[in-house]
Amino acid sequence: MSIKWLSNQDYEKLLSGLIREYSLYAPCRSEKELGFRLVEEISQIAIEDSGNTRFPPKSLFFPQSEVLMKYNGILHSVEKEEKRKILFGVRPCDARAMKLLDHAFNDEKAPDEYWQSKRDSAIVISYACIAPGGTCFCTMVGGSPFGTVGSDAQFVKLEDGFVIRIYSEQAEKLFTDLPDAQKKMTQAANDLFDQVINGMPAMVEKQQVHDKLLSLFESDFWREISESCLGCGVCTFLCPTCFCFDIVDETLRKERVRNWDSCMFRIYSLEASGHNPRPTKSERTRQRVMHKYAYWVDQINEIGCTGCGRCVEFCPVNIDIREIVEKALHWEMIGGAK
Amino acid sequence: MENPRIQKIRAEAQKLLIEEKVDVVIGFKKGSLPSKMQPFFASSVEEIEQLELNGLCSNNLAVYLNHRSKGERVAIICRGCESRAIQTLVLENRHARENLTLIGIPCIGILDIHKIEQKLQGSISSITEEEGQVVVVSGGREHRFDRLDLLHDACLHCEHPTPVNVDIMIDEAGWIPENSFDKSYCQAFRLLNIAQRYEKFSHETERCIRCYACREACPMCYCEECFVDHSRPQWIESTVEQAGQQAWHIIRAFHQTGRCVSCGACERACPLEIKMTYLTDLLNQDMERDYGFEVGMLPDQLPPFATLSETEEQFFHQQDGDHVH
Repeated sequence: MSIKWLSNQDYEKLLSGLIREYSLYAPCRSEKELGFRLVEEISQIAIEDSGNTRFPPKSLFFPQSEVLMKYNGILHSVEKEEKRKILFGVRPCDARAMKLLDHAFNDEKAPDEYWQSKRDSAIVISYACIAPGGTCFCTMVGGSPFGTVGSDAQFVKLEDGFVIRIYSEQAEKLFTDLPDAQKKMTQAANDLFDQVINGMPAMVEKQQVHDKLLSLFESDFWREISESCLGCGVCTFLCPTCFCFDIVDETLRKERVRNWDSCMFRIYSLEASGHNPRPTKSERTRQRVMHKYAYWVDQINEIGCTGCGRCVEFCPVNIDIREIVEKALHWEMIGGAK
Repeated sequence: MENPRIQKIRAEAQKLLIEEKVDVVIGFKKGSLPSKMQPFFASSVEEIEQLELNGLCSNNLAVYLNHRSKGERVAIICRGCESRAIQTLVLENRHARENLTLIGIPCIGILDIHKIEQKLQGSISSITEEEGQVVVVSGGREHRFDRLDLLHDACLHCEHPTPVNVDIMIDEAGWIPENSFDKSYCQAFRLLNIAQRYEKFSHETERCIRCYACREACPMCYCEECFVDHSRPQWIESTVEQAGQQAWHIIRAFHQTGRCVSCGACERACPLEIKMTYLTDLLNQDMERDYGFEVGMLPDQLPPFATLSETEEQFFHQQDGDHVH
């Protein structure tokens, strides 16, 4: 697909056009945090060289709480939005996460209508990270600060403007008026990539991690790494690839709603009989790590973590999934137990 | 430079393990990020060297008593709020006092990482503390801040930084004199009318994502089944909508009456920076005013609501119309 050039002078004009014709969501700053919000004016957009939204943009396709049906007898029909959605300024880790979530929700045999209706019509424009943060580790799990998986187009910010790499026909239409990027621009973007990637962590050997974790399934390892875990849902609720949900009937409102759920919660796996197959935080922590670093690998041969670093940054007790993986790989070497 | 207090803490902890007086020492160790420390459980002498304590230790370690078996002999390195939380947990039969060894350390207050981040751009590469100053390196540059400007609000409002009823005290004198902190913010909230109070409450709770980090970080939230998780009947909506968000926060606060130690661990755990202690601090003030009760200060004094009976003269004690408008 094509590579276009957008000068800094033309940035506002282009974005204004997109805001008029589409529902454009981009990182905007509120009192406390950065979050994807519907943009009314360009000045709201707050994309910086580094940093990500506190809440992952998956919530635009898979809201934390979503009404599935109302019980007036008929199934709640999925409403088509009038304007198409553009997600602008998505970090490559989050764009890749949405591609991973397609495996869960956009399965050919059993597509999730609620996800699909929002996802299929949306255009994802990612924004290359030119200054990855201290908790970023996309390169460790198969991503890249300039990764384009899940992106319809990607902006790379240079001094005088943006190189826009376009990967889908629907994105092509947005930028038809723009000139093609000259060789020196694309070269500058490539040079920038070389500079940014330098110093990022190396990719883990995913099969090795997968095999090692499975071999540790019954090990004391999990008790040790989960000893400080509080059992809250921060890691999973801020995660761009977690997709567990619970379906409840809100009887007063006559609605059937699906809410995000978390495998880190005590009641997540509690059965009606009172039996809990994951009775302690060891099993629950094991599930979170195994799902991302072993079960996803079994299913689609990819790690189900995109290295956004939210769980690392916001865990109240600093449980760091990078350390868990590293420690697992060396578990026997450090004696296996205290 | 190594903090001299940590050497004393390690020496005491080591002695307890060598003499086999405890099975585990709960403290903090260095975290994986410059801005973080991790709760740490040392059960062997070799691990003692990893113990650390500084202003980035943001959790209330008393919470871990609820995770461990009652028979375990535990030493906890505790600051003022942690000692009072442990006191309250012992009163509520969560752990036997004789199985606990409290290593007390007069607190110098916990740093609010969000206050640090607000003053800087770019990621932080190191944070060090020197007496009353905090030195932060970010973007290759060194920034110096007055420690008091970076303290978490709960620590600014703290009335008892020095631990109580401990077994071993490291350094008799605290670094910050008792009662030097500002408590006027409770009064400011009382002066708001009911609509203004509701506005403040709504503004805070609307960000809630129901991750329950506040609950899990709190030593006093140890119910086997929290009211929000109860499904038959379902007490409150689990859907992330205003009704459920507000019900969670107001009932959580009321369950803390006479039990909250005002440590602020809930706020520091919250990924959305929701303020919560303004509610519990008010309740604590009421407890002090109406019953002369301060949480966790005396080893044999149960919270008023644990002892209250309907025959009591002042069952529905109400004063100066503060509770009703």
